[in-house]
Amino acid sequence: MSDPARRQAVLRGVRELLPLSPGIFAWGLVTGVAMVKSGLSTLEALGLSLLAYAGSAQLAALPLITTLAPLWLVLVTAIIVNLRFVVYSTAIRSHFGHLPARSRLWLGYIVGDIMFVRFSNLLEREPEYPHKIVYYTGGAVANWVVWQVSSIVGIFAAQLIPQSLGLELAGTLALVALVVPLCRHLPTLGGVLVAALVAVLTHHLPMRLGLLCAVVAGMLVALGLEHRRQQRGVGS
Amino acid sequence: MNEFAGFDTYVWLAILGVTLATFITRSSPLLLGARLRIPPLAEAALRFAPACALAAIIAPDLLLENGQVNLSLDNARLISGCIASAIFVYFRSISGTIIGGMLVYWLLTFGLPGF
Repeated sequence: MSDPARRQAVLRGVRELLPLSPGIFAWGLVTGVAMVKSGLSTLEALGLSLLAYAGSAQLAALPLITTLAPLWLVLVTAIIVNLRFVVYSTAIRSHFGHLPARSRLWLGYIVGDIMFVRFSNLLEREPEYPHKIVYYTGGAVANWVVWQVSSIVGIFAAQLIPQSLGLELAGTLALVALVVPLCRHLPTLGGVLVAALVAVLTHHLPMRLGLLCAVVAGMLVALGLEHRRQQRGVGS
Repeated sequence: MNEFAGFDTYVWLAILGVTLATFITRSSPLLLGARLRIPPLAEAALRFAPACALAAIIAPDLLLENGQVNLSLDNARLISGCIASAIFVYFRSISGTIIGGMLVYWLLTFGLPGF
């Protein structure tokens, strides 16, 4: 990390992640509290947070673990709940192709909702940015640190944090701040509206499968709208 | 399970299972890289993945209360989300959006302090 341009890129990744940290922190806190309240010991809750690093899969696994569900079911549930990450990693995979397998393994492990969007924002604005991997690493590691610190605080202070505060809303609001600027592009706005509608209509599906349906439906509609717009552009 | 392997062993194996799920879903597309071939149309659709994923996570959080759609003014999370969006549009501040939205939510839920 001696190269100053690379160090700049790391810091830029961290800097563009930090404004979102109140949302990440609140989310981690709530997840930490939920793990302890479901009956995991402090050590187990720490292990789940530090190893799995996947909030929604952790929360989905809790009721299974406390009812001694078969291990294969825990694994399959966590994979299905995490399916949106397959979409994220597939979308960005071409930028990591030159790296050794071990780097790709760890850089994939730290993909989260927020850093995926941040990285996509960067690629949209500056497709030729030379230090994009370093930028990504800086932001994703910062996200990991904020999440783990807040989760650990939640685990140890579970009894002190009242559920009535509704802290998980802060995580949602962080995502609101990320989605609003993307809606200026009309085909994207169409996709956003469809994804929102489908997500609400399918929220009753188990293992967050509705979320996946919504993402796919939204992407297809946005693609269709953009295709139409381009055709009309060529025709006129 | 309790009698022979012990609850603790089970829990740790389950934790490793969730960890494995993280690696499988997040790392395998990066490990496969160019070997993971998908139709060009699907590749083009992935450009919209960030916005659509965000919308799909946000919408149920803001619109549903106890599993029912609530579009009325007494849905505090929906109102906070709308005001948070407005804050972002005006001030372009992400942390301001999060903190402002939460303050609105607490004001709507708990009222003004001292009243």
